[in-house]
Amino acid sequence: MTAQTPDAFQVIADPSRRQMMQLLSKDSMTINALAENFDMSRPAVSKHIKIMYNAGFISITDIGRERYCTLKQEGFNELQDFIDYFDKFWIGKLKKLETLLNNKSKEK
Amino acid sequence: MQKEIKHTWHFNQSPQVVWEYLTKPELLEQWLMKSDFQPIVGHKFKFIGNCNDDGKAAALCEVMEIKPYTRVSYSWQTNSLTDNKPFNSKVVWTLIPNDKGTELRLVHDGFTMLEDVVAHNDGWTRIGNKMVEFLNVVKI
Repeated sequence: MTAQTPDAFQVIADPSRRQMMQLLSKDSMTINALAENFDMSRPAVSKHIKIMYNAGFISITDIGRERYCTLKQEGFNELQDFIDYFDKFWIGKLKKLETLLNNKSKEK
Repeated sequence: MQKEIKHTWHFNQSPQVVWEYLTKPELLEQWLMKSDFQPIVGHKFKFIGNCNDDGKAAALCEVMEIKPYTRVSYSWQTNSLTDNKPFNSKVVWTLIPNDKGTELRLVHDGFTMLEDVVAHNDGWTRIGNKMVEFLNVVKI
């Protein structure tokens, strides 16, 4: 619904968000507990959380009066796509090199 | 935790021949990309995409290691697919001679932002497996 959702790379391009994800990778945390680890205003923390949430990196669950953030797979899939892209890139290039070298052998 | 790309390829040629294809720009261009590579440690160069890139660099690189006929490595800075944030990584080629020719190993890893996100093994025991699922990158 948001007009502009940052992609996975924009999400992890920010060091604070990477640090938040590292913290969340240890355990689910409330927004308050997460905020305690950062020297920034509560609204600033909320903004980062919203960005990670929108990009599918975390889910938010309300338990009692607290909101818990948990890491979620979805956002990471795009990062994997990036690796997959390079993987295919290299396979394609190596095949080309193989063809080149094989043709070279035939010439001789 | 797999977050690297690894490939092993076999060639009938000697390491000397394969090496030329890894280090001579005119040969590199034939299978990889146009570049101003030079086999000198510290040399900064770029790979230029072949198609519709307006001569824009596909990767900005710096030679990190040169061991003739054995190993060549360079940093590989590229942009993510979806925006223009630079993304650092490292490409290492290793040549191993055998009786059939040459085994060529490629490792492309050190993706900076991924490293940060999945960094540091300390404290990872419990969530390690979870992250492996998340970033279950191609395995050989």
